[in-house]
Amino acid sequence: MDLELTSNREGKELTVSLNGEVNTLTAPKLKDLIDGQLPDTDVLVLDFAGCDFVSSAGLRVLVNDYKILKKKGGQMKLINIGKNFAEVLNITGLDTVFGIN
Amino acid sequence: MKEIHVDSKIENIPEVMDFVRAELEALGCSEQVKAQFKMAVDELFGNICLYAYGEGTGPVTVSVGLEGDPPAAVVAFCDSGSPYNPLEADLPDIGLDIEDRPVGGLGIFLIREMMDSMSYEYKDGCNVLKLTRLNG
Repeated sequence: MDLELTSNREGKELTVSLNGEVNTLTAPKLKDLIDGQLPDTDVLVLDFAGCDFVSSAGLRVLVNDYKILKKKGGQMKLINIGKNFAEVLNITGLDTVFGIN
Repeated sequence: MKEIHVDSKIENIPEVMDFVRAELEALGCSEQVKAQFKMAVDELFGNICLYAYGEGTGPVTVSVGLEGDPPAAVVAFCDSGSPYNPLEADLPDIGLDIEDRPVGGLGIFLIREMMDSMSYEYKDGCNVLKLTRLNG
């Protein structure tokens, strides 16, 4: 399954809505989009309403972006998390690291 | 055990996922079990594609079936690339502050946590990685 990304910027806040799956094949697409936008972003909001499958390839992208944002005093928020993704975040301990609504 | 034979190319991940999902479905596995094996295919088949045959590609067999009593779902990955035991990989310390954690290493940790057991053997020139998960 492919991954569709829609992004919306308001000043320094970037919201990316994910539709599909973040897996080995699609994670580079997410990485490319966010990497290009991070220099102008202080708050990154990732909306998972349309995506409940995030493999470790996707987690690596999230952890990497989180570290970059935190270093410059920014923040990352994950919203509309589904059941499967919540389990993955819980097992890896990332649920206590990322801001989750 | 039902088997699928594919080349170690990441473009084949969806085909392997579909095969594993259909077989687990036929075995009566729950949605959670199917979702967990899907993660496992992405991680483990993905790793075989990226590393087992160096820069090249080679054959991979993925098999699905039931074993044991009570019966547990089993998915096995077999490749004839370089001998590599992923169970010997360093596990991330998830208690560490995120700043001190390596970005990688999470995948194999995740799969181990989700499965009931994982075993590895190098047999007849093949890496055989077997995952077992009770239905529930």
